[in-house]
Amino acid sequence: MKPVAVLGMGSAAPSLRLAALDVGAAWGSGGGRGTVAVCDADEDTLTLAWRAASTALEAAGVSPDEVSGLWWGTARPPFAEGPSHVFLATTLGLDRAVGGGLCSGSPHAGMEALLGAWDALAAGHARIALVVASDALVPGLGTAGETSTGAGAAALVLGVTAESSDGPSTNGSSPPARFVARSTRAIPAVDRYRADGASATGDVYDARLFREEVFVPLLAEAGRAVSDDSSSTAAGWAVADPDGKLASAVAKRLGAPLVSAPVFGALGDTGAAAALLGLIQGCADNGSGAPTTGALGAIGYGGGRATAVVVDVARAIPGASGVDRLGAGRRVSYAEALRARGQLEPMDDPIPMGLPPAGAAFVRGNPEMLGLFGARCRTCGTISTPPSIHPTCTGCGGSELEVVALSRRGRVQTFVVNQTMPPPFQAPLPLVVIDLEDGARLMVQGSPADAGDLAVGDTVTLSLRRYALERGIPVYGYKAFRVAGSDATVGSGQDRAAQEGGA
Amino acid sequence: MSWNKVAVVGAGLIKMGELFEQSYEQMAAGAFSAALGSVDKGLDKSAIDAVIVATQRGTLWGQEGIGGNTVPSAIGLSGVACTRVENACPSGSDAFRIGAMVVASGVHDVVLVIGVEKMRDKSTQEGLLARAAAGHPLYNRGETAPVLFAPFATRHMHEFGTTPEMMASVAVKNHHNGCLDPYAHFQSEVTVEQVLASPMVCSPLRLLDCCPQTDGAAAIILTSAERAHEFTDKPVYVAGFGVATDHPYLHEKSSFVGLPATTLAAGRAYEMAGVGPRDLDMAEVHDCFTITEILDIEDLGFVEKGKGGPASLEGETALDGRIPVNPSGGLLAKGHPIGATGIAQLTECWWQLREEAGQRQVAIRQGFALQHNVGGRGSGVSVVNILTRNP
Repeated sequence: MKPVAVLGMGSAAPSLRLAALDVGAAWGSGGGRGTVAVCDADEDTLTLAWRAASTALEAAGVSPDEVSGLWWGTARPPFAEGPSHVFLATTLGLDRAVGGGLCSGSPHAGMEALLGAWDALAAGHARIALVVASDALVPGLGTAGETSTGAGAAALVLGVTAESSDGPSTNGSSPPARFVARSTRAIPAVDRYRADGASATGDVYDARLFREEVFVPLLAEAGRAVSDDSSSTAAGWAVADPDGKLASAVAKRLGAPLVSAPVFGALGDTGAAAALLGLIQGCADNGSGAPTTGALGAIGYGGGRATAVVVDVARAIPGASGVDRLGAGRRVSYAEALRARGQLEPMDDPIPMGLPPAGAAFVRGNPEMLGLFGARCRTCGTISTPPSIHPTCTGCGGSELEVVALSRRGRVQTFVVNQTMPPPFQAPLPLVVIDLEDGARLMVQGSPADAGDLAVGDTVTLSLRRYALERGIPVYGYKAFRVAGSDATVGSGQDRAAQEGGA
Repeated sequence: MSWNKVAVVGAGLIKMGELFEQSYEQMAAGAFSAALGSVDKGLDKSAIDAVIVATQRGTLWGQEGIGGNTVPSAIGLSGVACTRVENACPSGSDAFRIGAMVVASGVHDVVLVIGVEKMRDKSTQEGLLARAAAGHPLYNRGETAPVLFAPFATRHMHEFGTTPEMMASVAVKNHHNGCLDPYAHFQSEVTVEQVLASPMVCSPLRLLDCCPQTDGAAAIILTSAERAHEFTDKPVYVAGFGVATDHPYLHEKSSFVGLPATTLAAGRAYEMAGVGPRDLDMAEVHDCFTITEILDIEDLGFVEKGKGGPASLEGETALDGRIPVNPSGGLLAKGHPIGATGIAQLTECWWQLREEAGQRQVAIRQGFALQHNVGGRGSGVSVVNILTRNP
């Protein structure tokens, strides 16, 4: 087994929180503990993946053009068929030649993405790999999974090590952590599933049958196998957990503590992201100030497959501690959560977007919308946004323009909060004119959570959101989020994530 | 010296409102009939040899591809030369400007300029509000009409201390004036308290800061200054006009305390008319929202930049104020049937200059009146027309 280096980690959670008690109350079953994370109407697995991956790249000090492959695992890609991978790669500013792939089909996809990246690095086909696991499963109404299904994303920046490459290791010195062992086991059994064309995940399995005959024995077997392959014994395990009780049974079977419980408690079952989010949790400083070092195991599960990995942690991994800030979110009612997930829709058709989202304006505009580009005038420096509608400079009329990536931070020049719009728009909707740090001016949507607090002069950051789900096609763009305590110094990527998550 | 090559010899409009019972064609016929009937010495409609139609939104009444033939057919002039002008909220005032140039060119002698707009044949959600989903998929998304002006209110308040009360005073004044205008959509007074208590539409603009959705039509008959006396002993002349543009996206605005298109258009109109803001007896300006009138009176040079709020609050723009603004009730009370709006404003100026405006008549001392519209994406189109009764 050739080890691979872990250079940085990132994590993300959506902005809504739903109490299991509220779900139970809706069905008259009364049960459930804790809360789960739910995507708002403008969040999905791609926006979560973008945030986790951006954070991980920043933490690792890796620039997007250094990434040779993007491996993305999610059971709910934004397109069941379509350009999910290239959309994410474009938002991250990765090279058009970037390799990798999209793993899907079950929540095991997150581990499959990790293994794919690992294989490419070990084979010498990639120097830096970006692994993202994100999920936002949509549980069927009234299913047992409704009270435990959450959403979240984990990202890892991986590089080659001295052992895995003939050349020098990626960062010259020894990496903060290395994946050292892996093992997969499988059993052909149906548990949670989503039929082709179905919109939500069903779980009509027998819970005790699943626990006793499938989940616990399979994951324990994978965990034991990876331990046998590893020279060091895992000091703790991060384990995917469909219901909040299964993971601890596996850890008990493996004889080491469960380290993934806090992130499960904060977000619920994050599907494809669960095992890696748990691993990041295990690598975080646990509030003690001292980073966890030594061997940690992680086991992901989905669709009858379990994969266990062991990571050797030498020192604090950049970006890992961000996971401790994912807990906060806006508590919503069951009805609000259903509406956000698209499971509760008004009878009237929404007003269609003026332009068809697969039409020419999007073919021309997607790169500049997903990448957030402007056109800088070589004569006067004015940035006109976006480039495709600005053949000449809005400042001086010059035609010598170069495409530039815009700053993601700025101050509010002016704003409104729109309260009166037809479906699919939801009030309150802030629209914010921002003076970006690079001098560009941009008007974008703001966060409803900021509607009551926005003021001229506030500092805002731009974050990727889904502007529309138009005729089934997601349309992405950047929205403005107010930075709490606006005059504070520039925060790190993790701070941004925490502020958004805690909006 | 004013331009004065072209004269208004007839003008009229129909009662504005939610005219569910009238078709586009019936509204056009009503406005034409009113204009024709206003010609002092009479005019045979066969004398009209060209028609300029202003209709901004065929989409609001289900005729996306409307051309210049519907109106002539509706008013019994089928066959006449006709062109439709669509230039955002100033469509009507731009049609007037173009009509004046057509007459001045000598190509056509008697030109009808007519604005007709159906705003309420579709529900609000499917109609005007649907623009929230039009335009650029990101940089216009959520942009309903108030979004074009509310950011200016936010910034004007921030920079100059303009208050909601000052904005409300514009609505109070214009609703008062509307009570005196039999053609106005709304004919009821509102108080500052009512404005401030009305629902928030798009902060900081509340319901009573906004003009209504109004069906309407207005028409004006133009001829050359030389021929004007064939039709009336009290012609009103086109003293000057100006049109100007600005970038179409809000994020391209250089500032959020003024509308450069208005300032540019006004400068051109003042120069052509040989007058300045102090020479005006009254003005009809684009008050689609209360903040817009505050911006307008600054951008048109009636008051210093930043002083529009206090000037409104202190009554400088009232019927008996230093410069009466929107004696007709303005867009806020008379209504804003887009293509008809500018022509209805010009009709008010015509009445005022002829001192035929009844209870809302302002004092005419210098003989000049100004009409102004601004609108479109980014409020990037403005037209200013100046009329005079001085030969």
